[in-house]
Order: sequence, then structure tokens, then C-alpha cells
Amino acid sequence: MRNRLKSLIVGGVAALAFSTLAPPALAQTKTLKFVSWQKDERGVGDWWASVIKEFETKNPGVKVEWTKVERGAYADTMTTLFAGGKPPEIVHLASFEFQKFADQGWLEDLSPYIKASGLNLDGWAGQSSCQWKGKPVCVMMLYFGNIFAYNEDMLKKEGLSPPTNWAEYVAAARKLTKDTNGDGIPDQFGTGHETKGGGGQYLSELMNYTLDAGGRWTDANGKVTINTPQMIEGLSRWKDVVKNSLTPRDLSAGETRQMFADGRIAMKLDGPWLYPIIQRGKAKDQIKIAAPPFNPPLGGSSNILGMASEIPADTKKLVWDFIAIATSDKFQTDYATLAASTPPSPRAKTEGAKAATPHFDLLVQTAQAASKAGVDRIPKGLEIQYNEFAKMIMEEAQRMIIQDLDPRAVAATMQAKAEAIQKQ
Amino acid sequence: MKQSLATRLTLYASVILTCAILIFPIYWLIVTALSQPDQLRQLPPKFWPEEPRWSVFGKILEERPILLWLSNSALAAMGAVTISMVVSVLAGYSLSRFRVRGGDSLGLFILTAKMLPATLLVIPLFGIFRMTGLIGSMWSIILAHATLIIPFTTWMLKGYFDTIPRELEQAAMVDGCSPLGALFRVILPVSAPGLAATALYGFVLSWSDYAYARTFLTNAQGNWTANLGITTMKGEYISNWADISAAAILVALPILAIYLFLERYLVGGLTAGSEK
Amino acid sequence: MAGGRFSLDLARPSRQHWLGYILLAPAVLLIAAIIVYPLFVSVDLSFQNVGIARLDQPRRPFTTANYERLFGSPDFWNACWVTLKLILIVTTACCLLGLGTALLVNNRFKGRSLARLLVAMPWAVPEVIAVVIFAWIFDSSFGLMNWIFLSLGFIDKTINWFSDPTAAFAVVATTMIWKGYPFVSIMCLAGLQSIPEDYYAAARVDGANALQRLIYITLPNLRPVLGVTTVLVMLWIFRDFSIIYVLTGGGPLKATQTLSIMTYEQAFSFFRMGYASAVGVVTLVICVIAAKLMMRRAPDTL
Repeated sequence: MRNRLKSLIVGGVAALAFSTLAPPALAQTKTLKFVSWQKDERGVGDWWASVIKEFETKNPGVKVEWTKVERGAYADTMTTLFAGGKPPEIVHLASFEFQKFADQGWLEDLSPYIKASGLNLDGWAGQSSCQWKGKPVCVMMLYFGNIFAYNEDMLKKEGLSPPTNWAEYVAAARKLTKDTNGDGIPDQFGTGHETKGGGGQYLSELMNYTLDAGGRWTDANGKVTINTPQMIEGLSRWKDVVKNSLTPRDLSAGETRQMFADGRIAMKLDGPWLYPIIQRGKAKDQIKIAAPPFNPPLGGSSNILGMASEIPADTKKLVWDFIAIATSDKFQTDYATLAASTPPSPRAKTEGAKAATPHFDLLVQTAQAASKAGVDRIPKGLEIQYNEFAKMIMEEAQRMIIQDLDPRAVAATMQAKAEAIQKQ
Repeated sequence: MKQSLATRLTLYASVILTCAILIFPIYWLIVTALSQPDQLRQLPPKFWPEEPRWSVFGKILEERPILLWLSNSALAAMGAVTISMVVSVLAGYSLSRFRVRGGDSLGLFILTAKMLPATLLVIPLFGIFRMTGLIGSMWSIILAHATLIIPFTTWMLKGYFDTIPRELEQAAMVDGCSPLGALFRVILPVSAPGLAATALYGFVLSWSDYAYARTFLTNAQGNWTANLGITTMKGEYISNWADISAAAILVALPILAIYLFLERYLVGGLTAGSEK
Repeated sequence: MAGGRFSLDLARPSRQHWLGYILLAPAVLLIAAIIVYPLFVSVDLSFQNVGIARLDQPRRPFTTANYERLFGSPDFWNACWVTLKLILIVTTACCLLGLGTALLVNNRFKGRSLARLLVAMPWAVPEVIAVVIFAWIFDSSFGLMNWIFLSLGFIDKTINWFSDPTAAFAVVATTMIWKGYPFVSIMCLAGLQSIPEDYYAAARVDGANALQRLIYITLPNLRPVLGVTTVLVMLWIFRDFSIIYVLTGGGPLKATQTLSIMTYEQAFSFFRMGYASAVGVVTLVICVIAAKLMMRRAPDTL
């Protein structure tokens, strides 16, 4: 027994020693950590992969370690990483998330790098949102407008044409939600939204309806404007759609997209990233793309690329190299084709993209419409508290649906809670 | 013991029914793993897939570093259990045999430590590991797991050693053994079942941790434990229940195997404690 | 070498206790470093207005604001209530199921060892795996549970298990019961083994039937084991994080947010570690009080 105990201890210690020694042996290669929710996503994930490949080719001896963290937990996870002192060197965040990080001083001021490399950011879509206290702390990676995709066959079967406003939309959704195989359970849905997941995505889905009703979370001065007739109308529209199960319930955004691509959902409002997913779905030949029936369409800034501030200087140079590649004209042009989205760079050549993405002009159109209306998912005045704000809105909206509350009361609650969050 | 046929039948029926219901979720996991993914989004559910997709295991092993996850879990568990066992054997023996000043309060403290929610300790441990640069390293969870295990194993071992008559060491020392020698050469061999049970318990505790792994290891993909890896699959953009179930089976297999192997020690080890 | 330096008369343990100290030393040091010190830090943090715990920076001023906020917060009391509900329901179910299965497999029949193995298997299944299983079974659209309920006529519309507060609570409770009962079963089985056969033989001679044997012999003898086990199960539910966090995240509408989940959310979602520490400390205090109360019933076995 003593021998067994001894060998157990020896084995354990050896295993530990091995685990701590092994990495240094491989430390010949430098590693940059890059965390993103877009890894493995069709289209934009492929584009990032090409950027990484180019970077590693240009910098032999440097590897990019690319980790996926799902969108629902992204803000929490990234905050934990930064707070833990081990942030990813290459920082990828949603445009409504980065402000808290900038506020903590965790994002590097990019102006010296921009200047030194001569990157011209004039006319760069959405770049103004990347300014924090007068300094550019990130580069905007996408400024978009929502598209409206629908399954033409499903609509034709009901004798419907694509809706052009809310009334037509909700009427169509009602007709299109049905039980097709007679077992009493609806298996076809009019539309699809994420109703289970993080606050950020939930907020985006909800905003499709509140924007069209004229509601905004805050005004240009950052004052909370939730308790308004327009927002109340928007909330009741959301309630209408979700409570009547015109969308499948308890699904994440990715699952609804897949269901749509496979022909179980009739209409879908989403960003340009929906297209590559459609291309791989079963219903791809029946799906058509059009302008959203809502005005203004949801859109605005999408995601940003930045640099962690608490890393050594030589690492910063490497990270900038990565950012430079991603923002180069070549890769911005590739973005249009691979990601089927509107690249923010004004110098990107998008003619080639139109071949791969027939609705490309539509993307540009909706992005401009969103920009003109000053639409963004970032609520002015609540940027730093966005995580908490979004979770609160999601909870109150869910409460409205579960407990069948009056949207007027809900709007008042949201207003009060948002103001409380703002005061902290 | 004479049992009537009716009693026997009732007994067998109840046993089979009970086991079937209780094990059903595991069975369902297997069924789901082997199903074709698009068949899963359909009702009525099939109780055995028409074309079981045995290739899913190979597919999953290729797509995800499951073996890496498992070896990380094993590493963490072995490290944590080794440290804990060494420490608690000594401490448990001491508490059992010696009247140490403050021993009672230490014993009481160990009891309280059993009640600490991981979420309470995770905050200061986060701060400590941050300061020492251990966030993301295996050491962070080895030490964190040790905090989970030591309170239990110390107490279990104390209780176990209590049941071993002191005459055993007395005899050994009369024969010229030092007290430590007596511990190693006499007590430990006799306590083998109890040690095995305690080590198994510690191993399971470490293996099942999620909170610490989630907090300390998020950025270190290479160090992910199995639990952490599985949950990243669940939060995946497109939930492919078949793939996740297959991965879940692979992840659960080692610990189930260990359980099957050491199960007899478990009951034996716990029984020894309550026998007079 | 009888007598001499190393002679240790264990019948008089108060002597030579220096060895006792040495043996305890590693445990004490390790526990001090990774349990006691963090515990103190936690309590310390709870009295500061701290967002992210950075231990290398100077301490913030002492304040009881966290605790004031805590006791005035409806979320806190909700978390207490959810925790209490969960403990009552899951502990009772686990004890009943655990005791029942132990009694069942304690009988002699062919395949007994297999039955024992199967009955206790959920204990070895990692919690997150249990979550994967039950999340799928209770899937709102295509899960087995909805299909079973519909087929049996219990409901006429699918239940949205994860959007409905009561339903989500039921899912969490079910998962925890499945994970928790094997431990009770194993412990009770061990306890049952130690009840001497003669008791039962004597009772049978006196004409007691199975039920009477259960009530008058089995249960009283199992009381210490059941007592210990109940406390341990309670503590497990108090502490649990994985099952609830991965299954529902504390929702919907905080219907499954126990104190443990609340602590984590405040700390790592909203980054208010001072406040979170206060919640954690209060949880600990409640835990200790509850355990002490239960312990009065089975003092020496814990």
C-alpha cells in the first residue's frame, strides 16, 4: 500500500510537472489570443479565417489562437477575461459592448498606430461610434442595415405578397403560423426571433418593432425615453408576435436562422449575415430577399476590432498588424464577397460582391436608411451600463409576455429601472 | 429466506421498473446521440433511431478536442486529489488520534468549509489568482478544486480512522515502529477501502466542478476541462443535440468507468464507518 | 526499542501532541491559504464599494452600503425564497426516492449488484451532462416531455419549459432530484447493511409484518444516516451552481435564481464584487445556522 501510495503521488506530481513544463517547450512560437463569437459562422467566420491566415503568413513564428465564445455569454466572458488580467490581445466586441471596456482603460488608443500606418478612416462607416473620450479605441468592422428574407413558396400558398408595413406583416405572420402535419402542434411559424439568450440579442430583436413604431431607448442627450406612446406601441407589437407564438419559443438566434434556412419559418428580419446561412439551408431556392417592411430598419454599428491596452509594446505592434490586414483594401473588398455584408471601408470594391450576393445594393440601401435615421443599437447615455440595461429590458419584456402585463405599465417600469441604472 | 412467488414477482417488477425509469435519461442521451440531426426536430420522437449514426463519435472527436478536455479534467482531478489526500490523511489521522489544542475548532472549521458555496470563494480566489498570474493556468483550478475536496476528505478520513482500533498502532510501536511508520505500514494498508472511497469521492468532486473552471479557464482553450468544453457546445449558435449528446457521452464515459470499477469500494468504505 | 523517544501511549493522547500538530500542519497551511484567507477577503470585500476585485490596489473605505442594499432588495429576498423552495422540494424528494431505492435493492435477488449499480449511476454523471440530458428532454418544441404530456392528455398545448417560471423551476428541481437521490440511496444502503439481521428475525418471530418492521426497526436505526445525508443534500443544493446556471441561468424572471446564482451574476455579469460578496457572506451565515440546527439531531455522526 505504501508503494501504491508512493506511486500515486509520484504519478500525480509527474503529471503536474508535465503540464506546467509542456507549454514552455513550445514557447518558440508567439501566440496572440483572439476571441470572437463569429468563429465557425458561415461567411464572416470564413473571412476572419482568411485574415488570420494572411497574418500568420506575414508573421512566421506568430500564431493566432482563435477561441469561440457564444454570443449569449460574450459580454460576461470578455469582462471576466479582462478583469482577470488575461485579456485576448486582439479584441473583438459588439459595438454596444466596448464602451465599458474603454471606460476601464482596457482598450488601447489607436491614434498613434493609425497615424503611423497612414490608415485613412475618413468616410469609414460607423467609425464615429468608435471614439471614446475623443480617442479612437477601435475600428468599426461593420455598419449594416437589416434585410428582410421570406420564403416565397410559403407566402404564395397563403396567397400573400411580401408585406410592406406592420399591419401586413403581422397579418401574414398569423396566417403563416400553422400546424402542417395535423398533430396539433404548430411546426411552421410566421417569423422567428431569439427569445432565450443574452440581453443584447434580445434587445436587437425587439428593436425591429420598436423602431418602426417610432420608439427610442434614449434621446440624443442620453435621457431615457422609454415611457412614450411610440415605445409602448412597439412593446405591444413585440408582445403580439411572441405571446401568440408567431415565432418558435425558447430558441437562440442561431437556431431560428437555421429553422428559417430549412423552411420552417416564413419570414425573417436579420442582418446581412443571414445570407450565407440561407445558402446552406434546405429552403434556399424558395427564399427571397427584400427591403424590410419597417421604417427605419434596424441597423447601425455591428462589431468592432481593438487592441488590449495591458499588453507589452512589441505585442501591440503585432496586433496592429492584424488590424491593418483586416482593414486593408484587399480584405475589405473580400469582406463584401465572403461575408456578404457592406464593408465599412469607402475604398472597398464591391462590384465583385454583387455577383456573389445579388441583393448587395439592397444592403447598401438599408444601411444608409439606418444611418440617416440615426439608428444604432447603442443607446446614448447608457453605453457603459449596456449589459445591465439589456438584461433588464429583456427581463421586463419577458415578464410582460409571461404575466400578460399591459405594455403601458411595462414601459413605465422599464423607464424607472433604466434611470436607476443610469444613476449608478 | 422464503418468499412467495407473488412477492418475488412484485420485487422483480418493482426493481426493473424503478431502474428503467431512473436510467431512462441516460438511455435517452444515447438515443439522441445516435439520431440523425434533422430527425430530432420532429415529433413523435423515435425510441431508437432508424439508422443509428455511429459515426457521430468519430465526427465529434475530430471536430472538438474532447480528448484534450478529458485529459485536462483528469489532470486537474489527479492533482487536486493527490494534494488533498496527502494533506487529509495526515490531518484526519491527527484529528482522530491526538488531542490537539485547537483541533476541535479546526474540525469545526473544516465542517463549515463544507458549506462554502463555490460562488462565494470564487470572487476572492479570482482576485488572488489574478494577482499571482494564475488565471488560465491549470494550477488555478487544481488549487480551487483542493478547496472543494479537503473539507470532505479530511472529515471522511477522520471518521474512518476512528473506526480503526488504536491497538493496531500500539502493537506496531511496541514492535519498534515510529508513529509515522505505524501510520504508513499498518494503518494505511488496513484503510485501503476507506482511502479508495475517499479518493473516489474527491475525484468525482473535482471532475464535476464547473464554476471554477468557468471563471478561471475561459481564455485558456488549451486548458479547458470537459465540463467547460461541453457547455461551450451547448451555447453554440446552432444547437445540434445529436452532436452535443455524443460529446456528452464521451465526456461522461471516463467518470462512469471509474465509478463502475470502484463502486464496490464506495459502499464498503461507507459501510465500514458505520459498523461498530 | 520499547520505550524511548518514540514511544507513544495512545491511551493517553494528551501527551506527545507535537506530532499531532505536525501532522495537522500541512492541512492547516493549505486550508489557511486557499479557504480561510479567501473567506476573509470575501468578508472584507463585502464591506467595500468594489466593482472588480483587484487585491493589489489599496482598500476602499469601509461601508455597510452593500448590506443595506441587500436587505432592501426584492431580488435578494426572491433568491432566498427560491433557495428555500428548492431545498424543501428537492431534499424531500431525494430522501424519499433514495430511501425507497435503497430499501428496494437491499433485498436479495438475482442481479442485485447490477440494480445497485444502476440505481446509483446518476451520481457519477457530471452535472453539466445531466443538464444536457434534461434540457433536451424538456425542449419546448421537440422535447420528449411535451410529447409524453400531450399523448397522455395532461396538456393540450406544448409547455414552454424555459419561458415559464413555474415550469423552469420544475425542470431544475427534476434535474437536481435525479442527480441527488443516488447519494441518499448509497448512504442508506450502507446504513441498512449495518442493521443486524437478528432484529428483523426477532421481529418476525413476534409477528411483525413488513410495514411494521420498516417503521419500528429500519427507520429508527437509519435516523443518524438519514440525518447526516439530509444535511449534506441541503448543503449541496445551497451550493449548487452548475445545474441551475447552465440550465436556466437563473431565469426566467429570476424564478430559478438561488442565492448562489445571484452571487455569481452580481460578481461576473455586473461586476459588483463587493455587493456579490455580501450576498455570499449572508448565504454562508444562513447555511451555517441551518446546518447547526440540523446537526443537533445527529451530533456525533457529522
